[in-house]
Amino acid sequence: MGGSGSRLSKELLAEYQDLTFLTKQEILLAHRRFCELLPQEQRSMEESLRAQVSFEQILSLPELKANPFKERICRVFSTAPTRDSLSFEDFLDLLSVFSDTATPDIKSHYAFRIFDFDDDGTLNREDLSRLVNCLTGEGEDTRLSAAEMKQLIDNVSVAGLGLAGPGSGREGWTCGLKPSHSQILEESDIDRDGTINLSEFQHVISRSPDFASSFKIVL
Amino acid sequence: MLSDDYSNEIIIEVEDILPGVQSHPSSNQSVREMAQVNSRVSMVSSLSDVEVVDYQTFSNRNEKRRSQLLQFSTSLNNSMSQTLCSPECLGIDTSHSSHETIQGQKLIASLIPMASRDRIKAIRNQPRSMEEKRKLRKIVDKEKSKQSHHIFEFNCCAQCLNSISRAYQRSHNSLSELLNSISLWQKTLKVIGGKFGTSVLSYFNFLRWLLKFNIFSFIMNFSFIIIPQFTMAEKNTLQFTGWEFLTGGGYFRDTVMYYGFYTNSTIQHGNSRASYNMQLAYIFTISACLITCFFSLLFSMAKYFRNNFINPHIYSRGIAKLIFCWDFTVTHENAVKLKQKNLSTEIRENLSEIRQENVRFTVHQQLTRFFAHMAAWVVSTGGAIACCAAVYYLAEYNSEFLRMHRDPGAVLLLPFVVSCINLVVPRFYSLFRLVERYEMPRREVYVLLIRNIFLKISIIGILCYYWLNIVALSGEECWETLIGQEIYQLLLMDFVFSLADSLLGEFLRRIIGMRLITSLGIQEFDIARNVLELIYAQTLVWIGIFFCPLLPFIQMITLFTMFYAKNISLMNFQPPSKAWRASQMMTFFIFLLFFPSFTGVLCTLAITIWRLKPSDDCGPFRGLPFFIHSIYSWIDTLRTRPSYLWVVWIYQNLIGSVHFFFILTLIV
Repeated sequence: MGGSGSRLSKELLAEYQDLTFLTKQEILLAHRRFCELLPQEQRSMEESLRAQVSFEQILSLPELKANPFKERICRVFSTAPTRDSLSFEDFLDLLSVFSDTATPDIKSHYAFRIFDFDDDGTLNREDLSRLVNCLTGEGEDTRLSAAEMKQLIDNVSVAGLGLAGPGSGREGWTCGLKPSHSQILEESDIDRDGTINLSEFQHVISRSPDFASSFKIVL
Repeated sequence: MLSDDYSNEIIIEVEDILPGVQSHPSSNQSVREMAQVNSRVSMVSSLSDVEVVDYQTFSNRNEKRRSQLLQFSTSLNNSMSQTLCSPECLGIDTSHSSHETIQGQKLIASLIPMASRDRIKAIRNQPRSMEEKRKLRKIVDKEKSKQSHHIFEFNCCAQCLNSISRAYQRSHNSLSELLNSISLWQKTLKVIGGKFGTSVLSYFNFLRWLLKFNIFSFIMNFSFIIIPQFTMAEKNTLQFTGWEFLTGGGYFRDTVMYYGFYTNSTIQHGNSRASYNMQLAYIFTISACLITCFFSLLFSMAKYFRNNFINPHIYSRGIAKLIFCWDFTVTHENAVKLKQKNLSTEIRENLSEIRQENVRFTVHQQLTRFFAHMAAWVVSTGGAIACCAAVYYLAEYNSEFLRMHRDPGAVLLLPFVVSCINLVVPRFYSLFRLVERYEMPRREVYVLLIRNIFLKISIIGILCYYWLNIVALSGEECWETLIGQEIYQLLLMDFVFSLADSLLGEFLRRIIGMRLITSLGIQEFDIARNVLELIYAQTLVWIGIFFCPLLPFIQMITLFTMFYAKNISLMNFQPPSKAWRASQMMTFFIFLLFFPSFTGVLCTLAITIWRLKPSDDCGPFRGLPFFIHSIYSWIDTLRTRPSYLWVVWIYQNLIGSVHFFFILTLIV
């Protein structure tokens, strides 16, 4: 496929093996699949390592095609200045994080960055509603109504009402005004600042044993 | 903003030292390299800040090194100043760069004293891009080499150890790659996962796991019992008609398939002194198989348990989990759409449940619910007991029935009835949900599982009672072979039924659901019922392994076929609509396989070996009062040889002592 000339050198392979969670076979397969996306003249070894593949081409891979988060995934892993294309090493990074052997820690870190649509380092209400829309799809019947979405995410307004400190905030929740009015944030937002930060996210994820097994893309 | 000031400071510092950088070719190069990676400011800046701190901490070292560090940190700082200058990166990103700085400092400081293997692991674990990781490794390696150079030379021993560990690492890697490349059905499993998600995939993984068990048992049995027996097999005089595949009798009675065929003599060829004691080989091979199964079950159970139950689930309602745990393995477009739809339904259900949470049931409603549940439990338990009684009387009557009917197919009556019960009653149980109306789908699944496992295990239990108390004591010629034959029939009939069910029954159900009664819709893949069928068959195999050493091979074939049959019949299903906690259910399944199933098998075989008299004219243990006497006499012969006294010691302290079994029971 990529031609026999496009084999990776031994040192490079060893380095990739050290720096990623992938096995030799997986790296070679990744390289082959990556080369298939390149035009014929760029398929040589040196060229393929320098080449950048645009999102449209990456997203045509069957493994990513149907994924509702495909654009986010590419954006998070892209190191190009304009963040609109992936190099081979970015591609390897992507596969490494989504591989079987990657630790839950690194998986949840990248999951957080994928879900953080505006790249501001926290999951706020806007991020969460976009996330839910991705999950339920854009269809008429599956999309949540505004009220449902509000119930799902709503928390910021109550938290902003001025529950004094974190301690009293907690009490205000459990015995307070509207105890069951906000789901995601109530479950995940520990410091009650109205957004979910990375450690809060990882805390929630750590309680879900299925996360690591489902956060996986295999070529 | 505080961080803004901070970065400005750094930039100024860089400009001061900039000329020094230009004179240094290597740092010059790294500047160019770093400049390419200007998208993630926070990361890069954290790296460069680390260098600054390094410089401060190590500044009491000699002058030369200081200047080197200076140059290096300068190059990094320089690159950072470039990145900071790019307009799109200014803003919030810099505000948490200071936060990450501290992490970066700690990271490098912690990486330096690590062993090289741990260091590679730690670097791999960093959520950074390849380029950054490479850089990080280079920095740490440089630090490391400098340090070791200054303190003392690497001694030969350490280097040697290092290279050995490297070589081990490489060989380990290539071994696991080899295993990976031959691992079965990787591609098929990927497709199934893509269409149905992790929950259905867990069923197939469980099947594959059982298959590995059986392949292992078969290899053990084949190499230690069957091949030696082949070398001195006698000519089989029985007629082969073809019915034997179904009944397991006739021709097969005189083959390596059954216990009765094996010799009790010591195999010795020619005049060589090497001899092979068949009795001991038989008992040791089978116990080795079971012990291996025991430990691998125990370990996998512990592994799953640690992963899934150690973190206590404080929050009962996991909407957050529902939302953050999108199944990325699903790649089929329609499956994704379906999954989105299911997820949206589930979120809505959850929300409406939350709204109605405060609605309390009236006393009247609570009473009706209580009685409905009571009635369901009474009916299901009663049903299971009735089935057991029916199987028991049928089995008792069966021997008379067989004496009257000489038809070879008549022996299939009992397995047929048992398989019918296994087919019909679980479906009857699942109808109970119409009466019980559990609010939590998970509780419904667990209740269903408990009822089904109770039914299946009590049927197997009653059959074991029948075999050990009636067949074994009836004085029949070669009762071990008879039991082996019955287990073979049960296993085969079960296989035929599930094959027919998955190829025909599920297809018919789909046609009915799509064409005739459209309100039924397409059914979902019932993971619980299917897994229980696997557990049932595996229990039979474990019991039968003593009476029919070839049983793992037969189970291998059936599992292999079932994999493809289920794979084909999956097209009749749609993915499960509820978010199914696949990994937790897996723990539960393995626990079920361990607790009623495997421990029951151990008890049955222990009773057989310690309490039953082997038949007089067949099998490796003929003529002994109990099976275990073969071990006793072996130990007695060993006692006379001083060089084997350690075996006797082990025997006395393990098998012969009560304390060992007491401790074992405590552990389990």
